[in-house]
Amino acid sequence: MNKIDTRVLDDRVDRDAMAQEWRRGYEAQVSSDKVVRNRSGLEIRPLYWPEAGTDPEFDQKLGFPGSGPMTRGIYPSMHRGRTWTQRQLIGLGRPEDFNGRIKKILKSGGSALSIIPCNSVYRGIDADEVEPELLGTCGTIINTVQDMDICLADIPIGEISIGLNDPNPFTMLAQLLVVAEARGVSWDRITGTSNQSDYISHFVANHMFYRLSLTGARRVQLDAIEWLAENVPNWNPLSVVGQHTQQAGATPAQAMGLTLASAIQYAEDCKARGLDPNRFLERFTFFFDVSISFFEEVAKFRAGRRIWARLVEERFGATNPRAKRFKFHAQTSGVDLTRQQPLNNIARVAVQAMAGILGGLQSLHTDGYDEVFTTPTEGPAKVAIATQNILKHEAGLCDVIDPLGGSYYVETLTDQMEAEILAVIKEIDDQGGMFKAVESGFVQRAIGDSAAHFQEAVDTGAQIIVGVNAYQDEGDGTAHPAIDRPDPAWIQKQIDSLAAYKKTRDQARVDAALEVLRRAACSESDNTYGALVDATRAGATQGEIIAVLRDELGFGRPLVVV
Amino acid sequence: MALTATIPARVLVTKIGLDGHDRGSRIVAAYLRDAGMEVIYTEPWQKIESVVALALQEDVDVIGISSLATDHLLVPKLMKALDGAGLGHIRVIVGGIVPDDEEAVLLKSGVSRVFHPGADRADIVDVVARLARDAGANRPDG
Amino acid sequence: MDRTVSDTPRLAARLIEGEPAALARAISLVESDTPAAIDILRAIRPHLGHAVVVGFTGPPGVGKSTLVNTYIAELRKRGKSVGVVAVDPSSPITGGAVLGDRIRMAEHTLDQGVFIRSLASRGALGGLSASAAQVADLMDAAGRDVVILETVGTGQSEVEMAMIADVRVVISAPGMGDDVQAIKAGILEIADILVVNKADQPLALQTCQQLKAMLGLRDLTRRSVPVLCTDAINRTGVGDLADAVEAVAGRVKQRENRSAVAGRTRHLLAQAVAKAAETHVMQSRTQTIAAIVQGIQEARLSLSEGARQVLNNLGGEGHDG
Ligand code: B12
Ligand SMILES: Nc1nc2c(ncn2[C@@H]2O[C@H](COP(=O)(O)OP(=O)(O)O)[C@@H](O)[C@H]2O)c(=O)[nH]1
Ligand SMILES: [Mg+2]
Repeated sequence: MNKIDTRVLDDRVDRDAMAQEWRRGYEAQVSSDKVVRNRSGLEIRPLYWPEAGTDPEFDQKLGFPGSGPMTRGIYPSMHRGRTWTQRQLIGLGRPEDFNGRIKKILKSGGSALSIIPCNSVYRGIDADEVEPELLGTCGTIINTVQDMDICLADIPIGEISIGLNDPNPFTMLAQLLVVAEARGVSWDRITGTSNQSDYISHFVANHMFYRLSLTGARRVQLDAIEWLAENVPNWNPLSVVGQHTQQAGATPAQAMGLTLASAIQYAEDCKARGLDPNRFLERFTFFFDVSISFFEEVAKFRAGRRIWARLVEERFGATNPRAKRFKFHAQTSGVDLTRQQPLNNIARVAVQAMAGILGGLQSLHTDGYDEVFTTPTEGPAKVAIATQNILKHEAGLCDVIDPLGGSYYVETLTDQMEAEILAVIKEIDDQGGMFKAVESGFVQRAIGDSAAHFQEAVDTGAQIIVGVNAYQDEGDGTAHPAIDRPDPAWIQKQIDSLAAYKKTRDQARVDAALEVLRRAACSESDNTYGALVDATRAGATQGEIIAVLRDELGFGRPLVVV
Repeated sequence: MALTATIPARVLVTKIGLDGHDRGSRIVAAYLRDAGMEVIYTEPWQKIESVVALALQEDVDVIGISSLATDHLLVPKLMKALDGAGLGHIRVIVGGIVPDDEEAVLLKSGVSRVFHPGADRADIVDVVARLARDAGANRPDG
Repeated sequence: MDRTVSDTPRLAARLIEGEPAALARAISLVESDTPAAIDILRAIRPHLGHAVVVGFTGPPGVGKSTLVNTYIAELRKRGKSVGVVAVDPSSPITGGAVLGDRIRMAEHTLDQGVFIRSLASRGALGGLSASAAQVADLMDAAGRDVVILETVGTGQSEVEMAMIADVRVVISAPGMGDDVQAIKAGILEIADILVVNKADQPLALQTCQQLKAMLGLRDLTRRSVPVLCTDAINRTGVGDLADAVEAVAGRVKQRENRSAVAGRTRHLLAQAVAKAAETHVMQSRTQTIAAIVQGIQEARLSLSEGARQVLNNLGGEGHDG
């Protein structure tokens, strides 16, 4: 727990001044605030705080949203001003399939776009090198600029925020940039996030995405951050991910601690490159899991936000207030969802989503109730979106900023989670930082222990899971969803189209560009990312590019700890 | 009085294809270890031929494939490859995300059992122990 | 197929031909101390002595498995076929084990020239499982040029390995100079080659110097022990290691004689006796054992006198449990 700084003035006058400052910020963001009333006709204000009395603890630890300790939110208006982004992950089959689906989603009011590639792409191999059974089962097959162009056909890419599930070395982003170029969209209009850029989390917990060796990934990461800051200034090159570690078994406090420790590592690496914290920290974003442990999750987010704001100032000396904003996307936890009585998952997702919303998220993905069977099919995906809309419009969760703030329980828990999280960060610091701590297997072991601990609780019945170890009901009548696999004929077409693409491109140009990339990788002073974009433009596939980098910078082998 | 204790079952717990989910496979490996079995554990992304080579060199009784990202679709190929290598006595089980109709396909290809999320610990241990005994009884060379 | 004892000669024949499946099966039979084991071991006797057996030992985490992986690659470059016996500890309580050494050797899985076998220590007294020596013999008979033994790396295992391996490589890591000091007596006696692995880390050179200094304090009449630095991940220093192993192997093979072999067998026998006695004491329900235990508890018998009585008893009434 942080000590109260008694130098902070704690009389009413200052509280009022702070409130007024907040009010100004709020009004700047919400130009025409409408009167909100509940069903009993009572007027609901956007924010509640202790107006009377002296409470230095409030000023020091909570304050007002959008400034100070940031505990209550990173913007003055939070969801009352602008609700979170509904970012549902999709990605199926061929680029054409993706394009059809995303157009539908955008027509029905979707505001952002997110692309999930096929598992083979995550592994950095092209469609002609994979067992065809595995193609397109979990995401879209995108190997070339041409594939990306088809995915984004008729999509105004300069006007929409794009989330790319594009692990290091970011070949999909390169394809996007080349598509933009061809369409005459200048790169400064490209906005969005590389939301699978946290290679440390991949090394530790999300092995499918882990392509280059740790040191190789570190190098390319920094090259990309540096190059993008110059060339694609409105792109967020880094999303630090707590979702993977928590889904792999870390406790919420552990996951938050590890994520912040990774962010510290990335920030220190950027600093060592000579980059300016005021600039790069502003572009850091985060991505978390939100479990069904409702209050714990709310406290996790509030504590994380507070710690980040302090870290940015104290550890990195950044003065830019935007850098202190702990912007995060959350995804409801799939581990909490069950195969048994799957409709119960709708209730679970609603509670998880509430925890994330009341915890102050900026963007949300809700899982389908068929989570334990397949990537979301259309029906369950609709329910998942409806769940968000119900919480937004019917439950009134957006009316008030940080509505749980001030609760004895939530504030105590926030302090306690903060202490736990800080202890994790300290532990990692003692290991010599996150990079060292994962290299030695320390983090993997800790996560494995937590996963085993949780499983033990489920196995012994100490943790009840409805339908699994309690309230079992074999014949509950819920049908298992039918699973559609991609049509093998279509997959074959996709493989053929890759072959055709390779035939028509200028092979000499591709070879030359890959050679430049290879040389860039070998030389400490060159920037690999610029060379990677050039190779993409020349027609190299993602598989070819990653193969070159794997050759030079090492194959990504996770450290398996047993 | 026997001077040698019972011989532990040997089980290969591994992952094929592109999948990297390992929370479940680590837990299952620990279940089997704590039940007195010897578990050979590997990296993910094993090729079919690698699984065959591993199973052969380690002389395992049971192969457990953990598959959460559709990689179970390759298991029928594995069954053929094991047969081809003269390892038909080895029992194969699959755990993870397997849809109902594909479970039927796997069973038909010779898989002994498919476990799903929420699988019961005692059930897993019992089944593996029984299958290990079956495998032992069916070895071609004693 | 007919599954009688008469298959054993065939199995042994297939093994001697180098067939991997036969080798794998024979290892299980020997490891599990089945009746067929002795037949197989007898059948392979004329085919022993080809392989160089190299022991890799050192505390858990120093990078033994990773270094074995890199060393295999080097041996393959030199055209040698390789067998690896990697020992991991069994749980003393459940008898179970997760065998993970070969995770670090994954790149060789599909190489026909490399045969890797994970063994659980199965309660063997030291780190090396009691049967590792026999498994090494099987690999030798199957025609492997080099057999590598990776030990658990704790306790007695170093010394045990010394009895089995032709060449003993003892591995430590940077900053472990002090640890090495703690156990150095045993280690320095047996090491043919000392390796400081993780040479990419700070303190590697310093640890190297420390080890050399320690060696310098030893009896000058003894043979010299090279101290090498390796980085198992970036694969440096492994060529030197392979050279050093070859040099030692050349010397050892020359002076290998009857009495050394007999000494080794005697050591293995001693181990087996200890294991048998342990099983007997722990599992026996006889009056005799109970009486000895009580005698020790009541301080009427010393531990060593009790042990003597147990050994006498072993021969007599071992079958009433
Ligand atoms: C946790 C999780 C993750 C974590 C993985 C962390 C880790 N290191 O394991 C993270 C966040 C990294 C992740 C990433 C991805 N995931 Co995921 N993930 C899950 C999730 C939510 C839970 C899996 C889990 O660990 N459960 C807990 C463990 C204890 O249970 P279990 O593995 O099922 O094991 C039990 C049984 O199945 C059985 N069992 C399992 N294996 C074995 C083996 C043997 C031998 C035996 C006897 C028994 C057995 O026994 C266990 C104990 O009961 C599932 C959905 C779900 N609820 O199942 C999706 C899910 C598996 N993921 C999925 C996908 C698509 C992915 C991604 C490709 C996402 C993407 N496109 O961006 C990536 C791929 C990453 C990778 N594979 O490396 C899909 C797969 C779709 C499909 N099969 O059709 C699922 C089903 C979610 C969905 N509906 O979309 N994921
Ligand atoms: N930095 C570095 N790490 C190494 C080296 N060799 C092994 N490691 C790491 O040390 C850890 C333990 O290695 P392992 O081979 O399993 O050790 P063992 O327990 O002695 O077999 C793993 O994380 C390896 O990646 C090396 O030369 N340099
Ligand atoms: Mg090892």
